Amino acid sequence: MNRRNFLKIVGATGAMVAVNPSVIRQTLHADTGLFKAYERVQLVDGNGAPIKASALKKETNYVFNYPHVGTPSLLLNLEDATATDVKLKTEDGQEYLWKSGVGQKRTIVAYSAICSHQLSHPTPNDSFISYVQKNKKTMAYNKAGIIVCSSHLSAFDPKAGAKQIAGPAPQPLASVVLEVGDDDTLWAVGVLGSDRFHEYFKSYKPELKEWYGGPRGAKKLVKISAKTVTLNEYSKEIIQY
Amino acid sequence: MKKAVSALVAGILGVSLHAAAPTEKQAQLAVDMRAMLAALETIQMSGFYNDKEGMKTGVKRLKDGIKSLHSTDAKSYLPDDKAYADKFAIKRATMIEMYADDMVEALNHDNMDEALEDYTQILKQCTSCHLRIRPY
Repeated sequence: MNRRNFLKIVGATGAMVAVNPSVIRQTLHADTGLFKAYERVQLVDGNGAPIKASALKKETNYVFNYPHVGTPSLLLNLEDATATDVKLKTEDGQEYLWKSGVGQKRTIVAYSAICSHQLSHPTPNDSFISYVQKNKKTMAYNKAGIIVCSSHLSAFDPKAGAKQIAGPAPQPLASVVLEVGDDDTLWAVGVLGSDRFHEYFKSYKPELKEWYGGPRGAKKLVKISAKTVTLNEYSKEIIQY
Repeated sequence: MKKAVSALVAGILGVSLHAAAPTEKQAQLAVDMRAMLAALETIQMSGFYNDKEGMKTGVKRLKDGIKSLHSTDAKSYLPDDKAYADKFAIKRATMIEMYADDMVEALNHDNMDEALEDYTQILKQCTSCHLRIRPY
């Protein structure tokens, strides 16, 4: 390589990083432990308007796809403040620390909506996984106010990093790490925990063909903003036991 | 007195047997389930011998067997204490059909790896439902 070509490559790389800093952030700072940084993405409503943290309805299931175009996540504004510094463990014994929810009262959380047991997840047709409001009943656990996967009745505590508390799920749901901006806007910045995305893309290939044109389309990373809607809008039918 | 006791025992036995007897729909389901098991064996055996047509035959039999799951109200054949899970059972049946169709497509493209992955997923759907609905 001559000097001119070398300078061209260095210049082009520099320009690319200047335009999109996440390019370098993802390659250099990702994969540290069980936290993986993805594109910092703003949560917006169906019309593209920014979602405000303080405007989220309490105990309502919201869904947005993150970090991949085809990986649904649950967003919740809980009734009570979340716990802090919760120690969690993956199926293979790796420990990690879930800091807490965000927002003024630490009530806002987001988790991958792909069950850590057999990967049940919301689709436009139906959803077997959802948060069960505190005043409802569930067969999965002796009290509600939890996330339940009604496929095999696994239960997760959203106040404690989606730790598995009942049923066959072997590990917590992966957490979507959120930030609240100074202007009350909500941003997703990464994923903490064991996400099982790889297995999901492999196992649901035919389904992903139907909704995203195939695994390649579903694997694309979400950029700039993520449309956030209620689970009722996302799925035609919610199955909750 | 002996006659009365005998009649009572016979009556209790008759009621018990009637209660334990499967309904017509449950009996038909058992027949269909056995047919689907045979279809899976055909797919697996054909896969071992790289017999793509045999695998497609198995898929066809599997899809024939699964039709009854869609045409019958799932509540009518599920055990009483599991009847609430009808939508879960139907979802598994739908997924089996989806993987079965994908398997045929994979075989048409000579993609045996993909076809075997679909077979694995079909087995997962079957066992997923059986673990949930009939944990024995």
